[in-house]
Amino acid sequence: MRAGGRVHPRNEILGWVQEGRIAARELRKALEVGGALPSAGAWRQFLDRLLLFMGVLLVGAGVVFFLAYNWRELGRFAKFGLVELPLLGALAVLWRLGLDRPAGKATLLLAALLAGALLALVGQTYQTGADTFELFAAWAAAIVPWALVGRFPALWVLWLALVNLAVSLYFQAFHGFLGVALGPERQMWVLLAVNGTALIAWEITAGLRSRWAQRLVATGVAAIVTALAVVAIFDPRSTAWANSLAWLGWAAATYAAYRRLVQDLFMLALGALSVIVVSATFVAKLIELREPGSFLFMGLFVIALSAAAGYWLRRIAAREHT
Amino acid sequence: MSAAREALWQQLRGAGLVRGELPAQGEPRAPWYVRVMLGVAGWIGAVFLFFFVGAAFTFVMRSGAAALVVGLAACAGAAAIFRASRGEFAAQFALAVSLAGQAILVYGIAELLGHPSLRITALVVAVQQAVLFLVVPNFLHRVFTSWSALIALQFALTDYGLSAFAPALATAACAAIWLGEFDHAERAELLRSGGYGTALAAVQIAVIQGPLWYGLLLRHPRPGTQAIAWAGAAASAAVFLWMVGALLRREAVALGSEAGKRAIAGAVLLAALALKAPGIAPALVILIAGHANGNRVLAGLGIAALVAYLSYYYYSLEATLLEKSAVLAVTGIVLLAARLVLRKTLSA
Repeated sequence: MRAGGRVHPRNEILGWVQEGRIAARELRKALEVGGALPSAGAWRQFLDRLLLFMGVLLVGAGVVFFLAYNWRELGRFAKFGLVELPLLGALAVLWRLGLDRPAGKATLLLAALLAGALLALVGQTYQTGADTFELFAAWAAAIVPWALVGRFPALWVLWLALVNLAVSLYFQAFHGFLGVALGPERQMWVLLAVNGTALIAWEITAGLRSRWAQRLVATGVAAIVTALAVVAIFDPRSTAWANSLAWLGWAAATYAAYRRLVQDLFMLALGALSVIVVSATFVAKLIELREPGSFLFMGLFVIALSAAAGYWLRRIAAREHT
Repeated sequence: MSAAREALWQQLRGAGLVRGELPAQGEPRAPWYVRVMLGVAGWIGAVFLFFFVGAAFTFVMRSGAAALVVGLAACAGAAAIFRASRGEFAAQFALAVSLAGQAILVYGIAELLGHPSLRITALVVAVQQAVLFLVVPNFLHRVFTSWSALIALQFALTDYGLSAFAPALATAACAAIWLGEFDHAERAELLRSGGYGTALAAVQIAVIQGPLWYGLLLRHPRPGTQAIAWAGAAASAAVFLWMVGALLRREAVALGSEAGKRAIAGAVLLAALALKAPGIAPALVILIAGHANGNRVLAGLGIAALVAYLSYYYYSLEATLLEKSAVLAVTGIVLLAARLVLRKTLSA
């Protein structure tokens, strides 16, 4: 199974020009013939989509900004009306358009953003005494049904971002004073669990179509697990083995999943970078950077590792192409 | 996979653009994220090498002339390695050596000029990076040197109090390169690397403003005057309009035709928005250039830049949140209305 291994006319044609198979002055014509450049119809669709998403994004942002301004002069009813009316309007539009068209999905996204604005307004107006993390947790919980129905990646990414924010703010509120060493690490473990589960669920259900969301979440997972491993190297405690085990497990799982099951070079590149960072940290700690020679060694070590990683990844990319 | 390639080749042969059989798969270009990963690793290696030079040759760090010589030697050596070898290890090694050499060079020049003002140093760095961009034939290296040249220019402009013009400058450079990508196919690698470098710089300059750097680095807040800020925003909007016009000309779309009028109307709308939110212009230029050239990575960068700028816009101090929300909401509604008009006139 291959992911992202499509042929791109633009890259192929550019390669052929470089090899001299196509005359340089004919590059433009070749790209047009090969379908690499947008046609008039494609341009119209582009303009249409651009106006749609920019319009939706700006209106949603405008409402959020407006609430943040905290306009005290407005009465309670006016404030709620200004959020609830667009929300109801969006839902009505959604009813008419249905969820299959891009306009429908954009409206659902807008409605999700407005729902957050509404919750913020409720918390602010009624002084519920809720912490900020509760707002984000409530927001995430509120839009779960919509995300399930909408089934498009952007909305799920918004939901996951909200969950991450809720977790981070929770730890900030409750563990900020329990010591720096303990709080952040536990937070990292929870975030790792949340995002890792999301990634696995995404991979199982979504398949090979558009992979940007999975890659985004995977980048977060990679960052967290790498940070955990680096922390374990610098601060050897009894629990450090758990971090190292997690990192090794993640590296092995990434290799098995994205080399054998689904070919996704991006994930492998993430893994390679993590291996470089962790092993460099490990070696640096081992040789104790003091004399100049140790710096030279580290520099060469990193370069050699990255060269090996680059060679390995290019080999896989080449095999994917044949 | 090769079936699609074969089909593409046949298409081109039918148009008389190629002759003969489909060539064997050459060395494939690595995807952009692999190159980014290699670049990051090269950076880390360069930091270690820089510390090595600093620790091993303390005399280098004490004398400006010595630093200049060592830096030049490092950059020249790296350039030689790039030209001579195509291996992975050599390329990574040369990248790290060159980055370290550039840092040492800047240090040496600054020492020799007797700790000059920020603007002079920044201009010198910009020139140095521009020269390296032209001379050293490595893609990743060229992305870095073009990016750093523009960032250095931003620093120089900030020191003159003209930081508001930096986004327009970076956007113009980026647009000019991408619009001309297909006219200079012999210099393809140079143009593409410069295009990505300037695009990254344009996004960064739009989101992280000059005065912010100033305050962070030198603890000397130096905001420009209101008039200059307005002029800078107008310059960004003007660059955006110029880019749309140049693109229409490249695609041979008459300005008076239906498509031309629609494009101009949309562009004017968006340019008006850019007057109030200047960071929109670079993001849109990158997005449109990416779409026009069939470059999905570039288009994706444009979208990311739009989102990043919106986040920055929230915190910027040029206007109250109320005014900003009004600008956003009104513009959003106008755009949606324009889209409706567009669809009506098309289907009619």
